[in-house]
Amino acid sequence: MESWRKARVAVRKKILFFILLGWVLLIIGDRVDELRVYQGAQIAMYTIALASIVLLTGYSGQVSLGNGAMMAVGGYSAALTLNNLQTPIWFAFLMAILVSSLFGSLLGAAAARLSGPYLAGTTLALAVGLPAIANQFSFLGGEPGLLFDVGFPPDRFGEEFTQYKWFFWIASVIALLSLFITSNILQSRFGRTWRAIRGNSLAAELAGIHASRMKVLAFTISSALAGLAGAVLAMTISLVAPGAYTLTLSFALVTGAVLAGISSLPGVVLGGLILVAIPEIADALAGNFGDADKLNNYLPGLITSVLLILSVIYTPNGPGENLRKHLHKKSAH
Amino acid sequence: MIGKTRRKRTWFVAAVLAAGSLFATALPANAETGVSSSEIKLGITLPLTGAASPGYNKIGNAMNAYFKYVNDNGGVYGRKITLVQKNDEYSPQLSIAKTNELILKDKVFALVGPLGTANFTAVHKSVGIARRGVPSLFLNTGFSGFSSKKSYPTSFMILPSYAMEAKIVAQFLKENFAGKKLGLVYQNDEFGIDGLGAFRAAGTKFDVTVPYTSGTQSAATAQTWVSQLAAGGVQVVVFFGVTSATAPLLGVAAAAKYAPQWILGSVGADPLTLRALGVPLAVLNGALTMAGNPSPNDTSDEYVKQFQEINTKYNTGTAFDDYVLQGMNIGLMTVQALRAAGKNLTRKGLVRAMESKGSTFASVAYSPLGYSKTSNVGHTGYYMAVMDATGDRKPFGGSVTLYTTDSGSGPVVKSTFKRPAMPAKGLPTNS
Amino acid sequence: MQKVIETLLIGLSTGSIYALMSLALVLVWRSTRVINFAQAGQAMFATYIGFEISSRSGLFWLGLLFAIVGGALIGAGVDYFFMRVLFKHANSGPAAVVAPVIATLGLLGIIRSFVGLTWGGEFKSIEAPASTDGYTIGDTTIPFSPLNALIIVTVSIILIALAILFQRTNLGLALRASAYAPEIAQLAGIRTARTRTIGWAIAGGVGGVAGMLVTSYNFLTPYSLDLLLVFGFIAAVIGGLESMVGAVIGALVLGIGLTFILNYVGTSLVFIGGFSVLLLVLLLKPDGIMAKGKGRRA
Repeated sequence: MESWRKARVAVRKKILFFILLGWVLLIIGDRVDELRVYQGAQIAMYTIALASIVLLTGYSGQVSLGNGAMMAVGGYSAALTLNNLQTPIWFAFLMAILVSSLFGSLLGAAAARLSGPYLAGTTLALAVGLPAIANQFSFLGGEPGLLFDVGFPPDRFGEEFTQYKWFFWIASVIALLSLFITSNILQSRFGRTWRAIRGNSLAAELAGIHASRMKVLAFTISSALAGLAGAVLAMTISLVAPGAYTLTLSFALVTGAVLAGISSLPGVVLGGLILVAIPEIADALAGNFGDADKLNNYLPGLITSVLLILSVIYTPNGPGENLRKHLHKKSAH
Repeated sequence: MIGKTRRKRTWFVAAVLAAGSLFATALPANAETGVSSSEIKLGITLPLTGAASPGYNKIGNAMNAYFKYVNDNGGVYGRKITLVQKNDEYSPQLSIAKTNELILKDKVFALVGPLGTANFTAVHKSVGIARRGVPSLFLNTGFSGFSSKKSYPTSFMILPSYAMEAKIVAQFLKENFAGKKLGLVYQNDEFGIDGLGAFRAAGTKFDVTVPYTSGTQSAATAQTWVSQLAAGGVQVVVFFGVTSATAPLLGVAAAAKYAPQWILGSVGADPLTLRALGVPLAVLNGALTMAGNPSPNDTSDEYVKQFQEINTKYNTGTAFDDYVLQGMNIGLMTVQALRAAGKNLTRKGLVRAMESKGSTFASVAYSPLGYSKTSNVGHTGYYMAVMDATGDRKPFGGSVTLYTTDSGSGPVVKSTFKRPAMPAKGLPTNS
Repeated sequence: MQKVIETLLIGLSTGSIYALMSLALVLVWRSTRVINFAQAGQAMFATYIGFEISSRSGLFWLGLLFAIVGGALIGAGVDYFFMRVLFKHANSGPAAVVAPVIATLGLLGIIRSFVGLTWGGEFKSIEAPASTDGYTIGDTTIPFSPLNALIIVTVSIILIALAILFQRTNLGLALRASAYAPEIAQLAGIRTARTRTIGWAIAGGVGGVAGMLVTSYNFLTPYSLDLLLVFGFIAAVIGGLESMVGAVIGALVLGIGLTFILNYVGTSLVFIGGFSVLLLVLLLKPDGIMAKGKGRRA
């Protein structure tokens, strides 16, 4: 009983914390220029996408290189719903979640028996193959894609309230909600079960855990998050096209997750920041060196890759892990 | 317990970091964006790398070379032009991201020569070009949809539309290849479909049509195109696609000993680039192509001669070909537009100048310009050219027979239009 | 009927190039338990070297030789300087599963950036060592050319050479032993670390051949070998990562399958076709076609 009361208090504290976060973001959104607001929306989108990887790979230990494909599923579902059924925006996002969870559960069921590199290979093939389908069926818009127009902010917000700010608001709200829910899921029995499976799935089974069912569940929820992120991405560029969900995106997501701590949910914010910051930094550096186009094309990739390797070698579980080890050593005295 | 507290702390730190980074740029007030007393900033998105880049990736540098020449000779009313190039790899999604950077970060005054049909369609909607009032001059695409003033109030074409091109080709087919089996290979997006629609409207019957998806062009896929054409016994093949698709098509056809009469659309037909991509001269010999400009090797043409000189001095190391010619011409038009907008340079002013004075600008292309208060249309016509055994391009029939038309149902007419002379030394003095 | 045979032959030619890539991946997997995404980068780098040599000398085979040597050197270098460092640091926690994958991805990025900065992104091409004109039988020309035949022959020679190496030489025995049971191999006096590096070198050289062959009829850019990697990986997984024969079979199956989809269904479905083939195989045999029950688990 005591633990129940503690749990409820903890949840209430968390809700307050997230609301506080929301207020902070609101205020920031008013103070910065349009470019930053736009980037803010992108950061929010990445946090949702990275959360899906933290859940799938960090917690349930299934390596997927195909989250970009799931994002595509979500993005296209949202666009098709919005364009063909003329529903309100939130319904389009809801459809993105539903359709991608469905896909995710199917993929998870197929993949439940696969381990390590076999799973990686399958998801890799999916990441490469799925976006190309858009070119085959004309209702999917082909290479130029489909428009995804969430419309303009309500008039009562005034003239100065640009469309990008509106994207930032919507994206932030969705991100906060998703992170809140995901955080609760990860801290619950489900999260513990996944970590048990990741650690030693045989032992977990002996302890009564139905490993493959839990794995499929992980895939389903993770895909729901990825699909939602895909829809948010579509919103920010007003477009769904195969070129927005490339293999490079899937790799970037895994990169961001590793850089920020693959099993750390709070890390996704840092990861999103990094993913948006790298092209900026590369741009700035390339500008200083002159021969812009060559450098511009390859410098971001170079920086990302170097960062990636350094972090994998020195902080494979994210900077949080090193911090923890350090503090552990301290407390051991 | 400890884990929970530490986790909360990590959340908080992360949030503060996010907040801080967003805060990091303040917003200074601006006069007219991209214009200062000494500089005019222009932006362009084009494929510098990737599947569609061969040939087109030279355009930006060619424009820049011309701008540098003008800057060295007083600039535009004393202001130097800076061109910011962004690589979008022909991907619409990247075009959006890069155009956002150009407008929000680099704060350019206007866009010039952005390349790609699907790319600009996406950008216009997503970035809100019209809403922001950003002038986009001389779109490097021929999609006829862009000619609508209502949908694209601040944008101006320069190339004749693909519909125009198709109509002229259709006319040519009727006059010269009646009764032959016809085939069409086209890029399966608004670019190619624009042409396809005009062919249909003109009543051209293709025995075989082969759409290809942008980005999938390769030796392997070209194999399937050629199989279909050969199986259909096609004698005349019309091609509406990018240069990196022309190359495998011609190469595979040669390997399969399939030699129809080629009619290459203006977009993907530069002989120099095709040869660089491995197409042997023997295959190009006799191929027909729609052209709007004189051959880049024709030094008897005053525009070509002047541009070649500028290229040698300001763009050393780059061979002068169709793309360099195109780039420099866009530069020439841009400078005339900036001058016409006056010393008090504003975005609205630039748009108005294009509408009222644009049709009188000097340009290397032979056909008249159609800019007006109600039309975004640039050049309006083509002539048929044939490639010879040296890889050069000569007018079909010996001299240039110019055809003009519109994107709608207007007729195709032979035109006697004489283009304006090149300004002295290639430096415009208009106002 | 003719189309079927044409498709089959082209598929064989394409598949044999995938076979080289998948073989290289399986080699590295068996000796290091790592899926080396950087394989594409190594092969790409080797191919650029081959491009430089062959365009200067005009000789494809000379370029190929340099590509093999270059690939082998960079393969050995990656293992020696990179992989050993990686394993020392990243062997615990949830990231241990993901770390090698990510690290090799990062390496791929670095190699690609380096190549891009050095050679630029323009399309480059290598003069093919054989004609690309299709063979004429009677009065029809089939799309199968002397180049395709040469590819099949070259790959077959390499496969036979590797088979001899692995089955009949001491080095081959050492390689297999180090991969299968490193501790026991060490007890038997085999220097496993050095042997592993040799394995990486062989894989690198093989990758270089794959890159050169594929570039003889496609353009060379810093991204042109990515597809080869993806298909090589899928092929390796289809064959079951444990067996080199499986890698080859998987690649041929994939190559032929994809060419059929290309010719009969359409270009956009090729990739998803690859995915379906893969999924189908793994649903029936989760450890690949040639899996021998419970061998060594990931």
